[in-house]
Amino acid sequence: MSLATRSIRPLRRLLLIAAAGMLAGAAGWPGGSAWAQEDAAQLEVRVKAAFLYKFISYIDWPAASFAKPDTPVTIGVVGADPLAAELAQAVAGRTANDRPVTVRRMKAGESLDGVHILFVGKGESARLAQLAPAAQQRSILTVTESDGALAQGSVINFVVAERRVRFEIALDSAEKSRLRLSSRLLAVAQQVRTGP
Amino acid sequence: MLQRVARSIRLKLALVVLATTLAALLVAGVALVIFDLRDYRQAGLSDLVTQAEILGRASAPALAFDDPKVAREYLLLLKAKPEIASAAIYNARGKPFATYARDGNASPVLPRLPGASGSRIEGDHFVLFLRVEENNEILGTVYLKSDYNWLARLTDYLGIFAIVTALSLLVALLVSAWLLTTLTKPILDTAAVAREVMERRDFSLRAARTTEDEMGSLVDAFNDMLAEIGRRAEELEATNRSLEREMAERRQGDEERARLNAELEQRVTDRTAQLEAANKELEGFSYSVSHDLRAPLRAVVGFSKLLIEDHGRQFDAEARRKLEVIQSEGARMGQLIDELLAFSRLGRKTMQMNELDMTELAQTTFAGLNGHYEGARPDFYLGVLPRAKGDRVLVGQVWANLLSNAMKFSSKRPSPRIEVSAISDEREHVYYVRDNGAGFDPRYRTKLFGVFQRLHSSSEFPGTGVGLALVERIVVRHGGRVWADGKPDEGATFYFTLPKEQVHE
Repeated sequence: MSLATRSIRPLRRLLLIAAAGMLAGAAGWPGGSAWAQEDAAQLEVRVKAAFLYKFISYIDWPAASFAKPDTPVTIGVVGADPLAAELAQAVAGRTANDRPVTVRRMKAGESLDGVHILFVGKGESARLAQLAPAAQQRSILTVTESDGALAQGSVINFVVAERRVRFEIALDSAEKSRLRLSSRLLAVAQQVRTGP
Repeated sequence: MLQRVARSIRLKLALVVLATTLAALLVAGVALVIFDLRDYRQAGLSDLVTQAEILGRASAPALAFDDPKVAREYLLLLKAKPEIASAAIYNARGKPFATYARDGNASPVLPRLPGASGSRIEGDHFVLFLRVEENNEILGTVYLKSDYNWLARLTDYLGIFAIVTALSLLVALLVSAWLLTTLTKPILDTAAVAREVMERRDFSLRAARTTEDEMGSLVDAFNDMLAEIGRRAEELEATNRSLEREMAERRQGDEERARLNAELEQRVTDRTAQLEAANKELEGFSYSVSHDLRAPLRAVVGFSKLLIEDHGRQFDAEARRKLEVIQSEGARMGQLIDELLAFSRLGRKTMQMNELDMTELAQTTFAGLNGHYEGARPDFYLGVLPRAKGDRVLVGQVWANLLSNAMKFSSKRPSPRIEVSAISDEREHVYYVRDNGAGFDPRYRTKLFGVFQRLHSSSEFPGTGVGLALVERIVVRHGGRVWADGKPDEGATFYFTLPKEQVHE
């Protein structure tokens, strides 16, 4: 260590570091806002995945939906691979309503049998009109993330308000699906639709 | 006040009632307050737990779905519970998720981190943390802080207690006043009757019986007692009357007796005077008789002597012997008359009192007697005799008579022995003369000192029988006594006393 470096005072060193930071920002250093955007999208996916898992506790399926007491709750995911991955990671080893939880990535035309929650991602929202009636018939809780999805037969639809993930509920669709939603869940819903 | 309480059974009973009421109220009150404070604390805590559980359960979805607005709405419901000072819900990471303060403060003072589940009392607050869990997952923590105003509650209680106590005491006082009137009235009535009985001494009065309880039986007992006292008083009066009568009779008897006594004394005095006069007369008579006897006796003796001297040769031996007998008997009669004269003179002679050296007197007297004594010489033992007051001639006569007696009656012993000594007590000196001579039968000891009383014939021991009578007379005149002890053939002891204080004639 040279004599010159040693003579630099702490205050001056701090100023030097600040100046370097400013320079880097001005030069478009990869970080800052670009990272932040990436992070927000990822966070949204993670929150939605967590919500999907948590919904299980507030839903009553008809008895016929589960073959055995330890039949796992199966969450089918259509058109949202990052979420499916995130969800699979989140539910690994966890239970809900004393049942294990499994995640199934689904492709077009795949049978909905054995699925309890069907998440239809933005990418596949076009197929919702087709999927929703089938899901209702099988008492599957349809969860979506597109505006106006409730009108198409979805029971729970994620919305983002004030940078928070919230959800709206269509009670009429739930009734058609023979699903009972806990009033406590309704209490935290952003909006509850009772009819068309 | 104390004095009034001490004097009034009503006040005492009222005090008892009030004290009992107060004691019961105090015990009940203290028990109630303790129980209530305990209950308040337990109820407060369990209320808070219930509150927190409801809150936790309701806000679980809000936590799960990250909706603080809903959680806040739930917390705002706590406004209905004004005792809750502040509340908060923390999320799973321990950050405040929603908060509430009674005073509307948006950011109340809260613990920075939630504590472990459980409730406790911190100063004057209940504090509670409750984990919110669902599906075995911790969603967050409910925090509640509620007032624990035990002091205010205690103060409230004490106020209520004071009011209740005052009212109870007032009611107790009124009830007891009414009860006590019914209770004490018979007592006071009975007391009034008792006082009247005392004042009028009328035992026919009776207390009225108004109740059937213990007071009633007390009144009955009192009345019975009055009747009994009345009966006793009557009896006593009757006894008194008869006693008075008896006393009067006795007094009369006493007076009678006193009168008789006086009469008797008078009679004794008269008789004594008569006796003394007779005695004097007798003494005078015997003196003159003795005196007058001497002249003819002297003639008899003198002429019988002349007869022997002048006509002795004309008589034979037998006649001469008879004349000698006449002479000696005449001489003896002369001696007898002398002694009788001395004896009767003693009653008239005045005594000359001097202090006497009794040892010297006894010694001299003995020496004088011994000098012309013809019989066996006795052994003479003389102790130290105390001095006494008396007439020297008369006391010398006592010694002479006693010592000559002793010599006479011991003369037939092979070794005659005479012992003279004395003992004293606080009042008198006792002198005695002891010999080992013929002694006497103790049955006759009282006769020893009479005039002409002889226990031995004059042929056995010569003597006139006047000596001991003279001794007694002299000693009695000196205020003393004489007596004797003895047994036949075992000697005799003669005692005489002289008082220490000389009696004055």
